[in-house]
Amino acid sequence: MDLTLVGQGLLNGILFGGVYSLMAVGLSLIFGVMRVVNFAHGDMMVWGMYVALVLAERAGIDPYLSFVICAALIFLLGALVQRTLVQQIVEAPHAMQILLMLGVALVLENVALVIFGPDPQRVQSPLTMATLWFGPFFVDMARLATFGVAILLTALLYLFLFRTMLGKMIRAAADNNYGALVIGTDVNRVYVVAFGIGAACVGAAGALVSAFLPFQPASGLSASITSFNIVIIGGMGSLIGAFFGGLIVSIAESMGAVFLSPSLKEIVSFSLLILILLFRPAGLFGRRMT
Amino acid sequence: MDDHTNARQLNRRTFLKTAGAVAGTAALGLPTLLRAQAPTVKIGVITPVTGPLAEVGQLQRLGAQMAVEAINAAGGIKSMGGAKLDLILADTETKHDVARTEMERVINAGAQLVMGGFHSGSVSAMAPVAQQRRVPYIIDISAADAPTHSVAQAVREGKQKVQYVYRIFPSSSIFGKLAVKYMTEIFRETKTSPKRVVVTYTNDAFGKPQAASFVEAAKAANPGWEIVEVIPYPEDAKDLSTEVSRMKALKPDVISPVTRPATAILLLQELAKQRVDLMGIISPGAPGLYEPRQREILRENIEYVMDSTIWHNVKSPRAQKIEEEHIKRTGGKNLGAEAGYGYEAILVMADVLERSKSADPDAIVDAIKKTNFTGGIMMSTGPIRFNEFGDNPNAATAMIQILKNKPIVVWPKDAAQAQVVFPRPKV
Amino acid sequence: MKWAWLVVVALLLALPAVLSSYAISVFILIFFYAFLGQTWNIVGGYAGQLSLGHAAFVGIGAYTAAILARDAGLTPWAGMFVGGALAALLGAVIGYLGFRFGLRGFYFALLTVAFAEIARIVTANVETTGGALGLYITFTGDPRGFQFASNRPHYYIALAFMLLATGVTAWIERHRFGVYLAAIREDEGASEVLGVNSFKYKMLAIVVSAFITGMGGTFYAFYYLSLQPNTVFGIPLSVEIVIRAIVGGAGTLLGPILGSFLLTPLAELSRAYFSRGGWTGVHLIAYGALLIGVVLFLPQGLYPYFRRLLAWRSRS
Repeated sequence: MDLTLVGQGLLNGILFGGVYSLMAVGLSLIFGVMRVVNFAHGDMMVWGMYVALVLAERAGIDPYLSFVICAALIFLLGALVQRTLVQQIVEAPHAMQILLMLGVALVLENVALVIFGPDPQRVQSPLTMATLWFGPFFVDMARLATFGVAILLTALLYLFLFRTMLGKMIRAAADNNYGALVIGTDVNRVYVVAFGIGAACVGAAGALVSAFLPFQPASGLSASITSFNIVIIGGMGSLIGAFFGGLIVSIAESMGAVFLSPSLKEIVSFSLLILILLFRPAGLFGRRMT
Repeated sequence: MDDHTNARQLNRRTFLKTAGAVAGTAALGLPTLLRAQAPTVKIGVITPVTGPLAEVGQLQRLGAQMAVEAINAAGGIKSMGGAKLDLILADTETKHDVARTEMERVINAGAQLVMGGFHSGSVSAMAPVAQQRRVPYIIDISAADAPTHSVAQAVREGKQKVQYVYRIFPSSSIFGKLAVKYMTEIFRETKTSPKRVVVTYTNDAFGKPQAASFVEAAKAANPGWEIVEVIPYPEDAKDLSTEVSRMKALKPDVISPVTRPATAILLLQELAKQRVDLMGIISPGAPGLYEPRQREILRENIEYVMDSTIWHNVKSPRAQKIEEEHIKRTGGKNLGAEAGYGYEAILVMADVLERSKSADPDAIVDAIKKTNFTGGIMMSTGPIRFNEFGDNPNAATAMIQILKNKPIVVWPKDAAQAQVVFPRPKV
Repeated sequence: MKWAWLVVVALLLALPAVLSSYAISVFILIFFYAFLGQTWNIVGGYAGQLSLGHAAFVGIGAYTAAILARDAGLTPWAGMFVGGALAALLGAVIGYLGFRFGLRGFYFALLTVAFAEIARIVTANVETTGGALGLYITFTGDPRGFQFASNRPHYYIALAFMLLATGVTAWIERHRFGVYLAAIREDEGASEVLGVNSFKYKMLAIVVSAFITGMGGTFYAFYYLSLQPNTVFGIPLSVEIVIRAIVGGAGTLLGPILGSFLLTPLAELSRAYFSRGGWTGVHLIAYGALLIGVVLFLPQGLYPYFRRLLAWRSRS
């Protein structure tokens, strides 16, 4: 076995894992706090990508800078969806939630189709083609930057959840809804913020990958499924879990591409998912779900 | 005697057509009672205008619309009293259960001919309806052989009486054979001798057979080069870095990719990033390697890339005029195969109707079988005609190369607009 | 109420005489998706185990019958049962893994998605199934090959499938099996305490559901005459199945039927209306908005309103 290939595969897997991690972190927050299955997650990410595209082409802002704006706009989108739609069905059975979010996903995907058209897009950035070579190995600068920002954002989110008042309220509401109500938390407001932040994360993720990942309106569904995979494997409601889950899934897929046929690499992550579901449903880093 | 009969027939046919048109448009709720006075032939255009193949389906539809406008402006079908062509538009949503229902809807609304499909699953679902309802169906784009071949087989075995399904698009094997031929000839012309070719393809309903036919054709032709490895990748791949690392390790002279637009972006970027040393990238026929948005996104990474693909005949003045109109109406997109074949299907239908002089299905099929149409606008090695499978054996491809960020025909020589550049210059 | 059923069925049997081929094809879709929703209902509605991978059973039934017809010359009328059996086997595997390991709610749903996706990817990479290219079935119109010269026979077969699934569900509802499933759905822990072997009944539910769904897969294969892994194993199909049952009312006998009778024509009409204008994608926006509306305003689905409507009618 060509060791260079394996080594490069590992490196690629780690770097791309940053992308996966960021996608999963937002979803983990939403599910952890509200137990809402956000099937529109991938479509919100795609919208983050389109916003980045518009900002790059109309205002000339590089996506590695504009991701902040994208995050803010998708935060608003998430908050809006939560306030007007999800709020009404927080108590509803899972099936209903899924149906609602599917409806939202359909609307998001097709509004994007109507506005932007079906062609694949990619945002231009000077980092897109930049590479750094170390002997036979190379590092994709765009992915490195995304990886770096992903770690940064996850760290910021961690600080927010554990060091700020609002963050603690969110965690309290997640751990014990009733208890949080009792002590006077405006749970609804907490939910809106949490959903918004979750959406903002994935919106930022979208902007950060838009420089090297082609996207179309229809890209949302597979992004949602991937996010769910990662969150389950890493652990629902666990930031660390989502982060490492992303790395693990990405490395597993990359090794799958190296050792098996590339078109089979997705079987690796689904098989991993099944194993986790069976033997450790809380995920590798998750807390025990009640 | 004949004139008398024809006059009566013409009146009856006209009446029926008018009644049909009125009923059809009433059903659709369109305020076209004015149009219902003149004879019309209704043509169903069923393409994927939404869903993952939306970009293609929308262009197919545009091509058909442009052709119908041109023909109607020139006086319609003269042998049928100047009958105008009227389109009934439908959307398969890139799903084949929807395709089948849309076929039924369109026929119910009075379509006397149908074109469209694109995705082989949709085409397969639509073909049986054409057979059951006896509505001639001309497939403008579909590389899958199964729909036409299976109907032809059923007719041969006596299970079906008449073949109503025909295709003007080149079959997979034509793609493969011509790609091998063009590549070999280009190598000879540029006095180069690449030896190692790596094939990579999107593992979907288009990529797989396309790659397979290229590999087969190469084996049969036994040229001076050989395919050393075939590497598939998933159609929704978000990352091709490992696949490209594998390709690089094989030290290829040429990479032959069968891509889709999204994966084409990933692949070409990755090949450049990993500094894979190549004499050239030559596709045996794939989308994503010549469209304006792709060229805009990929810029220098798409320069010198070649694609042996369906293209319009650049030397035809008619095709050139159509391209100008196409660029205007799409906001800058070059005439591609999608709109090109959509347009050509209508041209073929108009020619068929001129000869059948009627919208009767069997008369149309008769005329289709005798087709020998030289007014086409797409690349071909002869006039458009239909063989025993219902396919067009003269459909052909052209080798285009991106030069100065424009798609230019470089082979065959008599259709070429410029000199082919191979090997590509080193960066 | 039995006579009301008979009247409706008689009406449906007589309809093809007056319907156009297009309308018949719409009804075929309505019946077939109602059928799929109903088989799902057994597991998802009555047993309360949310399955988002039911397409896997459709796919297995479809491919099995098609491959057997192609390679062994086995008539699909028989291949249907082999397909159903294999689907039931997969159902048993998923059920065993899911239920033995105590997966509930969303986790069980994700398990079903994982299996469906694996089935899809494997099918797309294996030669026998035609790989990503898929399987094409030669159109012969020969009834022995489960094909016909027009779509009327398909209408009756689809109707039969829908009635079969509804009949099975009705049987379950009226017997102990259904009572146990309801208990499990409402509170599995409590029902266990009361002595209900929840594992056994959940397994039964998924195996029965999978078997019938698999048989329906054969219908799908020989009606559309082409199979592609993405379409027939894909998440969108699983979602379409679930939507009808939920919109109509999961866990009720009429739910999937109501859901299909509402959603299928709506999807048809909105596509026909919007496609004409060339507004691509708008009809899907409308469909998405409809789903949102149903969840917000009709959380129990259509069925309660339907019942109230009937009760009002019979009272007056």
